[in-house]
Amino acid sequence: MIRLEQVDKRYGNGHVALSGVNLVIRRGEFVFVVGPSGSGKSSLIRLLYREELPSSGDVYIDQFHLTRMRRSQVPRLRRQLGVVFQDVKLLPQRTVYQNVAFAMEVLGASSREIQKRVPAVLELVGLARRKDSFPHQLSGGEQQRVGIARALINNPVYLIADEPTGNLDPDTASDIMRLFLEINRRGATVIMATHARDLVNQVQRRVIAIDHGRVVRDELKGAYGHEA
Amino acid sequence: MKPKTLWYFGRETGYGLWRNGWMTLASVSTVAISLFVLAFFIVLSVNLNHVAGVLESEVEVRVFIHQHVPRPRELKLMNQAKHWPEVRQISFFTKAQAAHQLQSEFPDQKDLLQLIDQSNPLFDGFDVYTRKPTQIAQVVRKFRASPLIQSVVYEGVVAKRINRLTQVVRVVGWGIEALLALATLSIVSNTIRLAVFARRREIGVMKLVGATDWFIRWPFVMEGVVLGLVGAATADVSVNYGYRWAIHAAVTAMPFWPVAPLSLVLQHTVWVTVATGLFIGALGSLVAVRRFLRV
Ligand SMILES: Nc1ncnc2c1ncn2[C@@H]1O[C@H](COP(=O)(O)OP(=O)(O)O)[C@@H](O)[C@H]1O
Ligand SMILES: [Mg+2]
Repeated sequence: MIRLEQVDKRYGNGHVALSGVNLVIRRGEFVFVVGPSGSGKSSLIRLLYREELPSSGDVYIDQFHLTRMRRSQVPRLRRQLGVVFQDVKLLPQRTVYQNVAFAMEVLGASSREIQKRVPAVLELVGLARRKDSFPHQLSGGEQQRVGIARALINNPVYLIADEPTGNLDPDTASDIMRLFLEINRRGATVIMATHARDLVNQVQRRVIAIDHGRVVRDELKGAYGHEA
Repeated sequence: MKPKTLWYFGRETGYGLWRNGWMTLASVSTVAISLFVLAFFIVLSVNLNHVAGVLESEVEVRVFIHQHVPRPRELKLMNQAKHWPEVRQISFFTKAQAAHQLQSEFPDQKDLLQLIDQSNPLFDGFDVYTRKPTQIAQVVRKFRASPLIQSVVYEGVVAKRINRLTQVVRVVGWGIEALLALATLSIVSNTIRLAVFARRREIGVMKLVGATDWFIRWPFVMEGVVLGLVGAATADVSVNYGYRWAIHAAVTAMPFWPVAPLSLVLQHTVWVTVATGLFIGALGSLVAVRRFLRV
């Protein structure tokens, strides 16, 4: 379970990105975080994987108290999370397979585990046939699938995505959205920041709307809404 | 540590050094030069110690007795001196023995030999060895106080000066070395920083998926250590060949100069250069990764 209590986020330049945010996200949920550009979606996402700490308030994820935990514990938190970005952040000199395997390798997985799991996850995201391609040889949608495969490879409890379809055309975006739904169906909790109105409206899941750093709406089976 | 993980670190280390080819070469050279200078000062100080040691073991106080003093009084003085706490060994020589020694030392000096044969102008006396070089002055003073003694000759001054020179060399050496170490540290650290920069994307991914800080740091620390050790090895090889050459040159130019043997020199230089190389390499890379790897 993810829980935010009275979270404020103020950046060094005095800019207030979030204020008074209270949220509970249970395991297994699929949650959209929507809002116009600059409303604070990315700031919220960065708090979840402890890239940033809130200026005040508390963040909890399962047994982790993010605002109190020691730095040395952060890797343990991150192993429970998979994170996907708009700009994917693939390693350009490595193939699809190597990009995904890398995420297992650096957690000390054995070659046997890696050889077993990577093809399975590439199969899930539909990239089994492109495993030896390099990132620059892939379309935007394919690159994002690699990013998703990498986020999934260590079996995270939570899959956190910041505008994963932001750079994609509508058809590709809708394919990627289906992939997230499939992942959620298989048990992962998905939290996705997006401003893809049509996609959100299509799938009828929980929608948390943010505006000027405040949660202005939180609906199960929601729609993108008019305020964005 | 799992063999798999070890393999990963080894591969990453080698890859990092290879990719930064020129910078790697530059920092290995800097480490090597700096360690070579360190070794140079060690060699110098080992040699000075050696010379001082040789001189000390050969140093004797030579005491000459007035010609008119009868033999029993000479021997009585020797027996007294034998019990002084500073005296390790004392032996008596007659002026005939002294003359004989001169003859064997300078067989070609015809005039001198003739003079000695006709009327031996030399003295009876003692060869005195002290327990420590610092006691020479004391012994000299005691002998000079005796009315029987004509003169006292000793070489303690030379040994003392060499000891003082050794200290100066050490201080100067450490001073220069400290500066060099700083420069070396900075270039090693910059090399590693470049390696870190070249791998910033990988590091980003590693942090994101939850690799521990030490897992991320290790390959870089190993890179630094490898730089340090390769530099030390280069310096040691140079010292080895350089010193062989120096011994050769010294033997030709100054045949009587007591040069410290190569094995003695290497005994002192190798471990110091290796330890310093290791230390500088590890410290340089730790400095480099410290800032970058904050979560
Ligand atoms: N690192 C930062 N430093 C200063 N201000 C920031 C930083 N990141 C975001 N902001 C500001 O915080 C506000 C929210 O930004 P962000 O969370 O990126 O919104 P969104 O992802 O919804 O577009 C914006 O006004 C933005 O300019
Ligand atoms: Mg954003």
